[in-house]
Amino acid sequence: MEAGRRGNPLALIPRLSRPVYRGAEASLYPLDWFGVPALAKVREPKPYRHPSLDARLRAARTINEARAMAAALHAGVPVPMLLHVDPYTATLVMERLRGARTLAELVEEEPGAARSYVEQLGRYAARLHQSSIAHGDLTTSNALVDERGRLYLIDFGLATLKPGPRDRAVDLHLFLRSLESTHPEHVEEMYEAFLRGYSAEAGEEAARRLVEGVREIRLMGRYREERRTAWGGGEA
Amino acid sequence: MVSVATPSSFPPSIRGCSAPRLYPGLRWRSGLRVLGIESTAHTFGAGVASSDPPYILASVKDTYQPREGGIHPREAAAHHVRVAPEVIRRALEEAGVTIRDIDAVAVALGPGLGPALRVGATVARGLAAYYGKPLVPVNHAVAHIEIGRLFTCSADPLVLYVSGGNTMVAAHAKGRYRVFGETLDIALGNLLDTFARDAGLAPPYVVGGLHVVDRCASRAEEPAELPYTVKGMDVSYSGLLTAALRAWRRSRGAEERAAVCLGLRENGYGAAVEVAERGLAHTRKPEALLTGGVAASPVLREKFQGMASLHGARAGWPPPHFAGDNGAMIAWTGLLAYMAGVTVDPEEAVVRQRWRPDAVETPWL
Repeated sequence: MEAGRRGNPLALIPRLSRPVYRGAEASLYPLDWFGVPALAKVREPKPYRHPSLDARLRAARTINEARAMAAALHAGVPVPMLLHVDPYTATLVMERLRGARTLAELVEEEPGAARSYVEQLGRYAARLHQSSIAHGDLTTSNALVDERGRLYLIDFGLATLKPGPRDRAVDLHLFLRSLESTHPEHVEEMYEAFLRGYSAEAGEEAARRLVEGVREIRLMGRYREERRTAWGGGEA
Repeated sequence: MVSVATPSSFPPSIRGCSAPRLYPGLRWRSGLRVLGIESTAHTFGAGVASSDPPYILASVKDTYQPREGGIHPREAAAHHVRVAPEVIRRALEEAGVTIRDIDAVAVALGPGLGPALRVGATVARGLAAYYGKPLVPVNHAVAHIEIGRLFTCSADPLVLYVSGGNTMVAAHAKGRYRVFGETLDIALGNLLDTFARDAGLAPPYVVGGLHVVDRCASRAEEPAELPYTVKGMDVSYSGLLTAALRAWRRSRGAEERAAVCLGLRENGYGAAVEVAERGLAHTRKPEALLTGGVAASPVLREKFQGMASLHGARAGWPPPHFAGDNGAMIAWTGLLAYMAGVTVDPEEAVVRQRWRPDAVETPWL
């Protein structure tokens, strides 16, 4: 604890072992947090970003993620329990879920069971949106099911706490694209399940607005067949 | 400005690569030659690909450069009409073949600028019909990926494709190149070019192989604080462009202006590499391929390499002639598609300005 007294918050964390997961955004290190099985989510410096931009982004996303997780919990959306926040080392410590699998794995392995979780995910997304939170990276990889069969949302690093209609639509857009790129066989049934859950929670009008928002985002993307120019027909 | 790439100038990587091994599912046929025609944007290119080493026999291109402003589609098309016969003639000559030795004609039917696309399509349809050659439709974005795979000898890469008109992260999954992320508004090359033009740094956009924004940025240490927008696996650059131009107009002195260039570059490149990293972490591909015109940037390459090494992936990119638009990539992809049985009736070979790569089935993979 020598370093701890000198003000190094990471000294609270016992020496980090090898990461159990190395993602794009952060690495996860298992640790014991005063008796609680925990994970340290560390946003490590990226060599491809200018150091000052990198430091700014990592600190901002760490704080943002912690805030959004707290807000999600208040909105009635299960997230792993947050144990410690340190923007200086861009570290979050949170509870380690037992036997967690990603929804992406579940969709591939047990699409039947996955469908009800996707519906639940739609309900959670609606709760977030009603509480003025947009997740910002809502994919099948960012939803976990623990061994008791409870669904959790994770990875709030890109969340927005004052979302406009566009940010909310981005959630569905990203979810839909994670289906298209990772589970092309299950796009329709999972999309329907998600919307079923969403409208059950937020009402059909909100769901309709969300779908309309997605359509607008998709027309913004490059080379949409559907898009038409001001001159009428788009294709030659 | 005719640029010619000949087999003698190819890097060693392509020579050591066995193309049939990159396409284990494809029944490889020896002795095939395909002529490819590219005209999707401001480059008119023609190339000849062979199913035997060295695979690329010729690549000739001529790029339209406006004296001021950006690319006007009509002007680009007029340029293509002017240079097409000479570029194709020289490609055949470089390859040491005549049109009669060619087994099929491949053409990029999209995505791209309508008037420019129609020049290539018209020429290709004409050649195919007149000489009785099969016509092979090629998606320009897919062609960037396939030529990149050949030059880096990659079997299954995560791809970051960055050019004037495109910014996307793609990887092959379940019969197609799937788009994992892309720009929600303008492309990375467009960001750099528009900024350079409106800031009065361009044209010319590239000086001595380096983009003028890269040049301007090299004079700064600390980047100006500008918006950095990543949404999931997507990027957005329009806010960055607006903010950078505003900061440029407000800036006083060369030092502040260089800081704006550096901020623009760092945020622009950083966001693209970040979404590529997300794609790489998500797909767990062992290789990472950087391609498209912006892949010529040494700064971007270094960042891309650094990102890939974080995930134990091998990073690679084709040489600039083949990273940018060229005819050889159309010929090469056309060759693969032709071997897999893909052809189109000239009467049905219409251009598709918004033809997405994930709309293309890839029976050669």
